[in-house]
Amino acid sequence: MTAAGDPGAPTGSEPRTAADGSILGLHDVRKRFGDLVVLDGLEMTVDRGEVVCVLGPSGSGKSTLLRCINLLSPPDSGRIVLEGEEITGRGNAGIDFVRQRVGMVFQQFNLFPLQNALENVTLAPRTVLGRSAAECTRRGEELLGRVGMADRMHEYPERLSGGQQQRVAIARALAMDPHVMLFDEVTSALDPELVKEVLDVMRELADEGMTMIVVTHEIGFAREAADRVVFMDGGVIVEQGPPSQVLDDPREERTKSFLGLVLEH
Amino acid sequence: MQQIIDQFFDFGIMFDPDNFDKVMAGFWFTIKLAIIAGILSLIWGLVLAVLRQTPGKLGRIVRWPTIAYIDVFRGIPALLVILIVSTALGALSQPDLETGAGALLPRWIGVPDWFGQPAPFWYGVIAITITYGAYMAEVYRAGIEAVPSGQMEAARSLGMSHRQAMRRVIIPQAIRKVIPPLLNDFIALMKDTTLVSFIGLIEVVQAGYDIASETFSSSALTLGAFLFVLVTIPLARLVDYMIGRQQARYQRGLA
Repeated sequence: MTAAGDPGAPTGSEPRTAADGSILGLHDVRKRFGDLVVLDGLEMTVDRGEVVCVLGPSGSGKSTLLRCINLLSPPDSGRIVLEGEEITGRGNAGIDFVRQRVGMVFQQFNLFPLQNALENVTLAPRTVLGRSAAECTRRGEELLGRVGMADRMHEYPERLSGGQQQRVAIARALAMDPHVMLFDEVTSALDPELVKEVLDVMRELADEGMTMIVVTHEIGFAREAADRVVFMDGGVIVEQGPPSQVLDDPREERTKSFLGLVLEH
Repeated sequence: MQQIIDQFFDFGIMFDPDNFDKVMAGFWFTIKLAIIAGILSLIWGLVLAVLRQTPGKLGRIVRWPTIAYIDVFRGIPALLVILIVSTALGALSQPDLETGAGALLPRWIGVPDWFGQPAPFWYGVIAITITYGAYMAEVYRAGIEAVPSGQMEAARSLGMSHRQAMRRVIIPQAIRKVIPPLLNDFIALMKDTTLVSFIGLIEVVQAGYDIASETFSSSALTLGAFLFVLVTIPLARLVDYMIGRQQARYQRGLA
């Protein structure tokens, strides 16, 4: 992958930060599904350019956290502030604001099956931003080149491996020039030999300064690429800090027992 | 044996030029009606299905009446709808002779003769579209719901509105899934077009019945049945072929 530029830097507007220097802040965010409390007054801030890896047992609220941030699943209460602007409680205005600044990559890739790789990448900029086909195609080709898919741009998703599909999905999210990227267990559905090619792309993105929140079970990735590791359980952050501290010298019992189970095998 | 042949397969009656032309003219009405009502039902059904998926609390204003419409017209026999449409449109375009009030509907709507087709033809088109639009809306809905929820989420996460996501991502996938069941509905629709014989259109069934009444032989009706089967069996085979192909794709994990 030759980076002809910096995919972390949007071609459009520059990311802005709040007064405290953070690009994203969650304050007392609560979310429940029926009787099940999934996020229980969560507090979290993310700095511009920071790479945050979120670990935790299943059902700890990690994925819900990401889906709250881009309002795919809006919180029941609490405030979410992106680039100094509150996005919660503003209806469609908040949704438009966050979705044009925050990209998301899913565990199941969710590529559009009737569109080829390049069309997957160009669809949203064309329909949402109203950019010209030529401009979107040029940018799409560039992004697919960056994720190592230059030679397979015209393939349909069904003809691509899981790793290739996920790389296209990353390019698709980057095509909207996001300021923040959310990754929801993006390697969990991949065969083991395909994990590395996806993590490599994410590592480069991180190196280029993209702000990233990565929900993952890849402890190795968290150790190398994260600026901060967050351990979640029961809908709150149990412990957070630099990877070396949280992963090698956890203070909390729950963190210790979780890492014990994960690192055992 | 000869009795059976005379009753059902009297070629002399079937291919008597007068009889044959009459049955063919009737069948031609049936085909025209089925194609026009079929296309309109496909469009109307998709509109209903999309309205039924309007999201959000405010969407209820659209969602609930749509659900009510679909429930009602799936529950009423097509024949009843045909009779209601024809009597109502006919009556509402007449001035009230007692009170002297003018007609509620202009005559060109109440007694339509568009494109040179008689009014019962258009009553049939309207009634069958009303009924089959409701059936097809349910087929489309199944197709929309069969598109994995991740598709909508991916589209929305990229900034698309619900409407953009439906139009660009969800509906094209849904339609591919529902072409076979829609064709099945079309076969049923085509058969139901014969109900317009009740409101005076000499389509294939009425034509055959008229001849049967004169000749005391069912052969003209058999001819009508044969014409139907000539169209519906290839359609049914096409549906099977398409379903088979879809399943093969699904088994390869590609659908």
